[in-house]
Amino acid sequence: MELAIFILTSLVAIVAALLVILQRNPIASVMYLVTTFVAQAILFIQLRAAFIAILQVIVYAGAIMVLFLFVIMLLNLRREDFGKDIKLRFKPLAIAFAMVLLIETLVVINASLVPAQPGADLSATFGSVQGVGKELFTTYLYPFELTSVLLIVAILGAVVMAKKKL
Amino acid sequence: MPDLRPMLPELFLFAWAIVVLLFGISRKERSGDSLIYLTLVGLVITGILVPIAGYGNLFGGTFVVDKFAAFFQIVFLLAAFFAVASSHELMKKLSADRGEFFALILLSTTGMMLLASTLELITLYVSLELTTIPLFVLAAYRKDQLGSSEAGLKYLILGAVSSAILLYGISLVYGLTGTTFLQPAMSRLIEQSVPMLLASGNVNMALVMAIVMMVAGFGFKLALVPFHMWAPDVYEGAPTPITSFLSVASKGAGVVAIARVFYTALPAFHDVHWGTLVAVLAAAAMIVGNITAVLQSNIKRMLAFSSIAHAGYVMVGFVALPQGSIVPPYGPASLLFYMMAYLFANMGAFACVIAFEKNYGSYQIKDYQGLSKNSPGLAIIMTLFLLSLAGIPPLAGFMAKYYVFLAGWQQFPWLVIVGLLTSVIALFYYANIIMQMYFSRGETSLTKAHYDRPLILTLILTAVGTVAVGIYPEPILRFATEAVKVFPF
Repeated sequence: MELAIFILTSLVAIVAALLVILQRNPIASVMYLVTTFVAQAILFIQLRAAFIAILQVIVYAGAIMVLFLFVIMLLNLRREDFGKDIKLRFKPLAIAFAMVLLIETLVVINASLVPAQPGADLSATFGSVQGVGKELFTTYLYPFELTSVLLIVAILGAVVMAKKKL
Repeated sequence: MPDLRPMLPELFLFAWAIVVLLFGISRKERSGDSLIYLTLVGLVITGILVPIAGYGNLFGGTFVVDKFAAFFQIVFLLAAFFAVASSHELMKKLSADRGEFFALILLSTTGMMLLASTLELITLYVSLELTTIPLFVLAAYRKDQLGSSEAGLKYLILGAVSSAILLYGISLVYGLTGTTFLQPAMSRLIEQSVPMLLASGNVNMALVMAIVMMVAGFGFKLALVPFHMWAPDVYEGAPTPITSFLSVASKGAGVVAIARVFYTALPAFHDVHWGTLVAVLAAAAMIVGNITAVLQSNIKRMLAFSSIAHAGYVMVGFVALPQGSIVPPYGPASLLFYMMAYLFANMGAFACVIAFEKNYGSYQIKDYQGLSKNSPGLAIIMTLFLLSLAGIPPLAGFMAKYYVFLAGWQQFPWLVIVGLLTSVIALFYYANIIMQMYFSRGETSLTKAHYDRPLILTLILTAVGTVAVGIYPEPILRFATEAVKVFPF
């Protein structure tokens, strides 16, 4: 049963991911991207990573996709803008490199397949909301606080760049 | 509440960035002079705070200040100092957002200082972003110039891609070890995690993937070949003080990060997994950087390619690790020394470019003709920096190259030979500018050249640094040797 769900969800994720880049209409691309994210969330649940699955839905499928849609709406693309083929100068080279990377990844995955030991060395709360929260505010308190500085920098930079009057 | 004393310089610099920002907003003045001096004062105080704060370990190892961190903190502060001091001319061209400009430089410097002082991968990543995000904005700061916007956008996109690749490598390391803390025990954890692979051929594929991803990610920051494509366009388009800051401080940030990760956690895999890989990239950087630099007609592009080549020389020092009975003289200390020597010469050369652009309004190498007649002082000082970059004794650049090559000789003699041969090519294009300045007859300019005070300060300090480090390298070399003792080899 679990295997059947896994195969089904992975197929959905891969097909939707392909459709993201094969669609001309950016709105349709974004919708397929949402599908990919939801399928990934289900895969995370199968890995017993419920917290990451929830984050995946809330942050990616929710917040980030809304941002994408807003940007596309603000760009106000017309239908004729979708039609143009992107000319890639190094298309054969790009495909060759992508294939090399794909084969490399497959070799690595194949070589790294180790009989899984479920739950080895992991505490019961690993990956749960409680576990992540505790780590975040104890071990990783400092990088967590540092991200707030990062946010200030990003806001400052965005304001400087977006300001009309120079 | 932990004792935050070791963190004092970073906290102060962050607070000072906010002060500069508010000062810039509250006072609308025309020149921006007081902002430059305010920023410089902040950088000097931070520099004084570095030895006062001392060494220490905070937040369970996510924040660690040791000698290695302190060395690079000084490098970053000096780079920021010179970049700020040479941006007077830029301030005159900007009509607004001056406070933000300096605040972003200070915030980026804070990020670099934090990057130097961590032994934890997530913190390393966050500080690296804190370093680069302000630089994206700074590269695009001349919104009225197309080239500057192009530079910012290119840097942003490639920076984001390289961060993603780096993160993938980091996640693989976490997967192999189960910890994000860089520690000598990481090597053992990696060996345990996939034991059967070590029996077959001694190459751990997942580790290879992790190393390749991380080298690529840091390689982008360092502008190593083949991850250098962004550098010439960004260096050319960005405002020149930012270009100089990018070429030294951003490169230094890459060096700090790659040294922390590879020296602390992965020295055991140097032989089989990453030594030769990085050596090949270093050779490629020296060859491509130096040969392409010869072909350039724009001095900013030429210095961009020369900085790619210098990334290659730095990496020669990087791969010279002690292995078993082989203990290369100087070893990784040569890497630190090279950064210091490169800092003075390169920041100085860019300050000369700014001074030339201010008076003669050009970035073309052919316009340097006859500079020795129009501004003899500038010509002499520019010659000094170019000779140091080329590696002519007794200047800092020579000592740096000497130590780096000596360190690399035992393990990678072919790499040192490539380095020596490409140095000859480098001498050709550096000497070309000197020839233009001294032996070509150019138009005699009637107006007397004018330099502003902070720029003169930069030129003098970098020139003194270039000569002093070359003639008396012992103190810096000794500190560098002490600094690399924090690593477990």
